[in-house]
Amino acid sequence: MKKEIAITAYKCKKCGKLHYPYHDRCLACKSREFEQIKPQGNAKLLTYTAIFNLPWGFDQRFLLIGVAEFENKIKAMGQIKADSVDQLKVGMKVKPSWEPIRVQYGEDVYGLKFEPIP
Amino acid sequence: MRDVAIIGAGMIPFGRRDEDTLMDMLAYASLKALDDAGLGDKSVDAVYVGNMGAGMLQHQSAIASSLVDRLNLLPAAAETVENGPASGGSAVKNGLLAVASGYYDYVLVVGGEKMREVTGWRATDFVATMTHPQAEYPYGITLPGMAGMFTRLYMEKYGVTREHLLAISLKNQEMGTLNPYAHVEMALDRDGIFDSPHAIVNNPVSADPLHLYDLCPVSDGAAAIILCPLEMAKKLTKPPVLIAGFGQATDTQTLQERDDPTDLKAVTLAAQKAFEMAKLKPGDIHVAELHDAFTILEIAESEHVGFFKKGEGGKAATAGKTRLGGQIPINLSGGLKARGHPVGATGVAQVVDIVYQLRHELPKNRQVQKAENGLTVNFGGFGNNVLAFVLRRVQL
Ligand SMILES: [Zn+2]
Repeated sequence: MKKEIAITAYKCKKCGKLHYPYHDRCLACKSREFEQIKPQGNAKLLTYTAIFNLPWGFDQRFLLIGVAEFENKIKAMGQIKADSVDQLKVGMKVKPSWEPIRVQYGEDVYGLKFEPIP
Repeated sequence: MRDVAIIGAGMIPFGRRDEDTLMDMLAYASLKALDDAGLGDKSVDAVYVGNMGAGMLQHQSAIASSLVDRLNLLPAAAETVENGPASGGSAVKNGLLAVASGYYDYVLVVGGEKMREVTGWRATDFVATMTHPQAEYPYGITLPGMAGMFTRLYMEKYGVTREHLLAISLKNQEMGTLNPYAHVEMALDRDGIFDSPHAIVNNPVSADPLHLYDLCPVSDGAAAIILCPLEMAKKLTKPPVLIAGFGQATDTQTLQERDDPTDLKAVTLAAQKAFEMAKLKPGDIHVAELHDAFTILEIAESEHVGFFKKGEGGKAATAGKTRLGGQIPINLSGGLKARGHPVGATGVAQVVDIVYQLRHELPKNRQVQKAENGLTVNFGGFGNNVLAFVLRRVQL
């Protein structure tokens, strides 16, 4: 079953600035009132990398990670589902999903994944 | 505010130091700085220790208290300053403000880190703990990974190429071979890591588009300085070095929340403040130590502090403008790339290297002739907490 993308962004009620992750005061106007916003639609890949020297907790050979912007302008980091950076390009469309991104203390940790849309 | 001088400096060779504990390294570097200042068996009023990872890597806390005990600097005031990879710079800043305020006269600042105690896998995770705990860290992002994403954007926006990055690797690794305190002891061969068909084996991709030799090594090491009011420094034999300017600035924790993720605003602001306080301009600087944890950062910082226009830093490096004898020599110590980057030590080690330059005591192959003004930039997080110092040789 597909899981809902459990990311919440915060839109400043005073000036409209969109934040992710959470800040206690708006990065533009310092207001403390936010409307909670959910990411919508597909996303556009803004930048990416392939990491070959992984941190403790990851035992695969490499990991593709990028930052993408959703249709409603929320920007977030996620793992990328592809075989290599050769399949990626800045500006390409990616399909977001909420899936296991690592295992911690024997449990799956869920997070954002992006899959290139051909 | 009083003028503050550096009257002693010392460091121990960086690298893999299996035989030493973190406390050993902090103690050795401190003793070298105390001896260099000619303080002999005298005490200091306060001690600031820059360190990021004793709690995580050595399972040890309150290391400043432990250090004053080992060195018998009792009953000096003492504390540890943790500010990620800018911990060393932050320790220097705390010492500077304490002496400038008039509260303390003699202060020891020491930075150190023992990173090779754990596997590379653990060390990478340790450094990654400075990323955002929900929006970044769980994904397996590393600091080299952040640098890879930044490099991709910088290449697209400013036309930086692998050739430009290579110029930094080659220069800094060559300078490292001339520095007895540097971790890396071998110069790089351009053919072996770039041109030849087996370059991809010798210099594999580490965090695309960055390759292995675009990254600093994981090092153990420590460095220390002694501060006192300039007025009291004039009686000493070695030329005192004035901390003429200091600046610090912060930025958003995640790159994606910056209006332009290629714009390292905290670097620009920290340097501007340091130049303003010193009443100097970037063109007045004779030698600089920039925070080249990744080759792209030396290029980006050389532009953001004002040595070169945006987009010109890479070309300047390939043209030799940042080598000894060039327009503005950068990282003649080898930089983080070759001296090494024991995170808590780096900000102090950069200051130590500029002190040696401004006292004109380095061998010819590293010394900038008649250097009077130097700059250091210590870059924390991925540019979200940056310190800059302008140092000046004092004419007595
Ligand atoms: Zn606002």
